[in-house]
Amino acid sequence: MAERPEDLNLPNAVITRIIKEALPDGVNISKEARSAISRAASVFVLYATSCANNFAMKGKRKTLNASDVLSAMEEMEFQRFITPLKEALEAYRREQKGKKEASEQKKKDKDKKTDSEEQDKSRDDDNDEDEERLEEEEQNEEEEVDN
Amino acid sequence: MAAAAAGSGITREEEGPGGEAAAPQPQAPTNTSGTRLSRLPLARVKALVKADPDVTLAGQEAIFILARAAELFVETIAKDAYCCAQQGKRKTLQRRDLDNAIEAVDEFAFLEVICKVIILQQSDSLLAYINLLGILD
Repeated sequence: MAERPEDLNLPNAVITRIIKEALPDGVNISKEARSAISRAASVFVLYATSCANNFAMKGKRKTLNASDVLSAMEEMEFQRFITPLKEALEAYRREQKGKKEASEQKKKDKDKKTDSEEQDKSRDDDNDEDEERLEEEEQNEEEEVDN
Repeated sequence: MAAAAAGSGITREEEGPGGEAAAPQPQAPTNTSGTRLSRLPLARVKALVKADPDVTLAGQEAIFILARAAELFVETIAKDAYCCAQQGKRKTLQRRDLDNAIEAVDEFAFLEVICKVIILQQSDSLLAYINLLGILD
């Protein structure tokens, strides 16, 4: 799958904001330095992905999961990231659970209203949601993706 | 309540058209306890992950953690580079501060090979980065 180079770069505005919030007030960053950090971050993701993939392959899995990435951090000697990443993961999982329950509740409410037409509509919505959630894919059969 | 709204923002971003979100996200997604979930658009991170030909599938959680790790990385390298700028009594971070930080910090060694070569060449092709990753193995 050919990716345009621009698509593989992280958005400048977001990178700039992260940098500014990490630094004390009044400190600026040159365009070149900001661009260099942005590229470094992309390289970081690529390197981490490659490392994490090794762990997934060791575990004979085709899908990269969170623990693969955490193992990769350790391998790359970024142990200091592991605790904040674990916390973020917990928060993310809680939020995903909340979203899931919220949408299931919505479905229940819809079904309560009308039986026939509404049910057909919500089934279509379900299919869309299932495509969005890679987690669901993980739990079901693993598929090959053409890259 | 804010978390739910912000959370659905993340999912929508992931499915955005090509992830070309030029406009910055209006609000940093947070959960109720204030832990920032992710500012980097997951769609872009996903594109990076998929660029690796050895990767078959990546779970949503993995993409999320990579995004968060990349943020932490940006924060870390910015702070380390700032230490160098401070020594020079400057208030603007320059490229050379970054170079110094990369040389000084062990964890950034992986950047030495790739970044100095690529960034010096002002190359825009990240596919070139991927080829260079072969050096790391």
